[in-house]
Amino acid sequence: MPQSADNVLDHFELFRGPEYQQMLANKKKMFENPRDPAEVERVREWAKTPEYKELNFAREALTVNPAKACQPLGAVFAAVGFEETIPFVHGSQGCVAYYRSHFSRHFKEPSSCVSSSMTEDAAVFGGLNNMIDGLANTYNMYKPKMISVSTTCMAEVIGDDLNAFIKTAKEKGSVPAEYDVPFAHTPAFVGSHITGYDNVMKGIFEHFWDGKAGTTAKLERVPNEKINFIGGFDGYTVGNLREIKRIFNLMGVDYTILADNSDVWDTPTDGEFRMYDGGTTLEEAANALHAKATISMQEYCTEKTLPFIGNHGHEVLAFNHPVGVTATDKFLMEVSRITGKPIPEELAKERGRLVDAIADSNAHIHGKKFAIYGDPDLCLGLAGFLLELGAEPTTVLATNGNQKWADKVQALFDSSPFGGNCKVYPGKDLWHMRSLLFTEPVDFLIGNTYGKYLERDTGTPLIRIGFPVFDRHHHHRYPVWGYQGGMNVLVWILDKIFDTIDQNTIVPAKTDYSYDIIR
Amino acid sequence: MSSLSSTIQQVFNEPGCAKNQNKSEAEKKKGCTKQLQPGGAAGGCAFDGAKIALQPLTDVAHLVHGPIACEGNSWDNRGAKSSGSNIWRTGFTTDINETDVVFGGEKRLYKSIKEIIEKYDPPAVFVYQTCVPAMIGDDIDAVCKAAKEKFGKPVIPINSPGFVGPKNLGNKLAGEAILEHVIGTEEPEYTTPYDINIIGEYNLSGELWQVKPLLDELGIRILACISGDGKYKDVASSHRAKAAMMVCSKAMINVARKMEERYDIPFFEGSFYGIQDSSDSLREIASMLIQKGADPELMDRTEALIEREEKKAWDAIAKYKSRFAGKKVLLITGGVKSWSVVAALQEAGLELVGTSVKKSTKEDKERIKELMGQDAHMIDDMTPREMYKMLKDAKADIMLSGGRSQFIALKANMPWLDINQERHHAYMGYVGMVKLVEEIDKALYNPIWEQVRKPAPWDDPANNWQNRAIAEMEAEAAALAADPVAAEKARRAKKICNCKTVDLGTIEDAIKAHSLTSVEGVREHTNASGGCGACSGRVEEILEQMGAITVEVITDPVAAEAARRAKKVCNCKSVDTGTIEDAIRAHGLTTLAQVKEHTEASGGCGSCGERIEEILDSVSHGNDAGSTLVAAE
Repeated sequence: MPQSADNVLDHFELFRGPEYQQMLANKKKMFENPRDPAEVERVREWAKTPEYKELNFAREALTVNPAKACQPLGAVFAAVGFEETIPFVHGSQGCVAYYRSHFSRHFKEPSSCVSSSMTEDAAVFGGLNNMIDGLANTYNMYKPKMISVSTTCMAEVIGDDLNAFIKTAKEKGSVPAEYDVPFAHTPAFVGSHITGYDNVMKGIFEHFWDGKAGTTAKLERVPNEKINFIGGFDGYTVGNLREIKRIFNLMGVDYTILADNSDVWDTPTDGEFRMYDGGTTLEEAANALHAKATISMQEYCTEKTLPFIGNHGHEVLAFNHPVGVTATDKFLMEVSRITGKPIPEELAKERGRLVDAIADSNAHIHGKKFAIYGDPDLCLGLAGFLLELGAEPTTVLATNGNQKWADKVQALFDSSPFGGNCKVYPGKDLWHMRSLLFTEPVDFLIGNTYGKYLERDTGTPLIRIGFPVFDRHHHHRYPVWGYQGGMNVLVWILDKIFDTIDQNTIVPAKTDYSYDIIR
Repeated sequence: MSSLSSTIQQVFNEPGCAKNQNKSEAEKKKGCTKQLQPGGAAGGCAFDGAKIALQPLTDVAHLVHGPIACEGNSWDNRGAKSSGSNIWRTGFTTDINETDVVFGGEKRLYKSIKEIIEKYDPPAVFVYQTCVPAMIGDDIDAVCKAAKEKFGKPVIPINSPGFVGPKNLGNKLAGEAILEHVIGTEEPEYTTPYDINIIGEYNLSGELWQVKPLLDELGIRILACISGDGKYKDVASSHRAKAAMMVCSKAMINVARKMEERYDIPFFEGSFYGIQDSSDSLREIASMLIQKGADPELMDRTEALIEREEKKAWDAIAKYKSRFAGKKVLLITGGVKSWSVVAALQEAGLELVGTSVKKSTKEDKERIKELMGQDAHMIDDMTPREMYKMLKDAKADIMLSGGRSQFIALKANMPWLDINQERHHAYMGYVGMVKLVEEIDKALYNPIWEQVRKPAPWDDPANNWQNRAIAEMEAEAAALAADPVAAEKARRAKKICNCKTVDLGTIEDAIKAHSLTSVEGVREHTNASGGCGACSGRVEEILEQMGAITVEVITDPVAAEAARRAKKVCNCKSVDTGTIEDAIRAHGLTTLAQVKEHTEASGGCGSCGERIEEILDSVSHGNDAGSTLVAAE
């Protein structure tokens, strides 16, 4: 046997051994009714053709390799951004395990979240008892300051009424009557994770501002000079929110970050386990009502929240995940306009540095074609940045993007001479993307970790920008917003371009005459 | 070290170098060791020059004898390309330490050579001397000799330690080393009447490979390229070539000239940058080979190939015309390799600003050269605000420059295209020019340039640095206009000689005080033009303006004419203006080749070719001018 206790091989190596290779070959031959390899090859090649693409795009029902996640995931993302708040997911516990592992794999941090653990009887008789017990246990075991309730499909299908259930639970003494338990219905069969984020954000502000589900008087808005900032569902939340705070502090802006999960997903290793860390305080969440304006960094993450806030008398404005010089300019100018604070010299310098860096490297990016997929706002932000660099975002795809979003992307294409040959694909999946990468080939693919299968199948080098990124560590610590964030994205793109050149020239005595140390 | 200093003296006596020939005996002794101004930003040293010149020899082990500084900073720092061995990219150094400095590094050097030969077995080892071992007296010549005898393999000492002078000198010392130790030491397997050497070409970005197929097609063999993609054996047997082309201006002129002297290999200075230059070079190669006995039909094939390639290139470039319409290019430094790059740009429809250059007449060539030459130094001293004003006044869309000024240009909010250093694309030959136009197109249309020029959105357009700078400059100019004393002071403070930091006032005072009439005199008294010599022309102008020269000329027209005729045109063959003019008139000459035949002028390095063409022009134009005058009367 190749595997021995003295020298345990990991799976990279083990199954390459002759014994395993022989065993697998035999198994295939004798039990798997193998196809003619030539036929397999023919079909594989056929799947790269325009003919196959047409069939692929004619799919009506099946989704293959979706580039989106479910509402409850976004719900949890938003909830942990509040001070000592635990997300409570009313529904099956299996779902909750997914959210926790998803975030843990992306942020490399523990991710605390509880479930009402509904089982079959709850599905038949309703989940009220699970809510009553669940809230009581959560309150007593984890001592949170707030429990943010959202749902899974199971609870939604049977129509559990969160408002009524929470009231009943409070009456039954699960938690004190005045204890904050905001809630949002977040079925996965509607929208995607960005919808879940939106619903929870709206639920929490509705709770604090509009009389806590009828238990107190609505808050009276006393306008002040502060501004609220909402980041939206963002894989770079740790780096981004810290960067935004730095920018606001430099400008002297009085601000509240709403749903600040930048600390809870980046806790230090110093001997203390922090189930909660940082976050928007409940007081801040309530007082956010009095702010002068609310800025959402991602329009499609706040489609309900922002109008809700706007109806309370704020000026509200939304961006589309701004990346790069022009987009950051626009963002900062709006902040400056609203707050009356000038842009400090420090930021002006950072802007100059980013322009400088882009100019230094422009020749390498100019005219390169990119395919991008991801959340609608991220796609818009990255496509805008690529156009700014003189690259072509040839293919832009969002499984959770709708026609309105597609129109917006098209308008962005139309605004630049580099957008002429670009196309937007709303509601399509990564199997569609696979066809596109064959029939409309590009130089690079930008997407999350799942893009690596596309990289493998199509040979298109993948630049990992998005959520989730499981197979590379710590990128979430770097901002992609602000001029410094733009610099990071620029460097990631350039790194891949140069890696690809190196990879292309690395064969000794064959291609390495161009394997240069200076690029 | 005596042999090193005599080698250096020899290099300074290079008759092929026009600049050198214009110097006095005393100045010549000082040579082209433009004494670098302490405190100034300096270029590379002689070691660097030698390494750059020879490093592209691909199958040679390049061993740097010295502390880590020398190889550490020069290891594989140029994008030369190799079609074979990669040993040239391996960083070999003796990496000497403190003990070696005290007790001498020769043993370590010897052992290092031994280990290279044992472990890598290259056809030759090149040993580069550096400052520290040179100063402590390590005799690398002796070590190399001993190693060569012991191991039976060429071990070539390259004696060019950094302190002997600048990079340019190092290029030449490297040339001397291969002349002395390599060239002529082996024989080629066979020779053909179509064998040429290419000297001073480094195959950066694989440029040579864009030209080689054309030569292959014509049946012309590059016996040796010194040194791009070169092999030791090729260089060692390069003395059997029939003709040579010298590519990189003056860097290896000593190699070309001495090979002509020793092995009767005629050479010309040519370039493959630009369509016209490529064609001229191919023609010249063909004609030289024919003169040396190749079948004259070679010229017909060459012409056919030129016609075909030119058409392809111009057709490809013509496609850009619509995109370049109305776009303006500002030429800035001497970084542009050849005027014919400019011709290609114009053909592609770009407008050059700062010059009124039309296509490819000789006067235009001169004007471009002048423009680029003068500003080569200027750019380094320019403040961003001055540059901004210049760019703004020129209303240019892009600036064409060498590597050094790109960063300044950028800070002054100016799009630039670097067509000189650290290139990533090969611009040589016909396809190279198409590639260049393609790159310019990219650079012109890259959206970042718009961003670069736009002030930040929060800037008050009335109060950004650009406008403040302009306002300041205007205010200063106005103040000077109002105050003649200050204006005079400012005028006199204008720096004329950058190397020696000499201003106009100092030169004017010296001319007046000592009644100077020549550049040499000014140099003696003020040091101006005692560095690189580039300001000689400006000093001459000052002399003229002050009447120091013209006075003499007017008093005696006969002497003036004699002086004019005595002015040397061809330094290599020592031919003066008068001789050439007489020959033109006597034999009715019309071409450079004819002049060469009759007077030997331009038979050396060939750099005087353009001056001779001018003379040809002026002799014939002189007649024209005369008849026009008669007609007018």
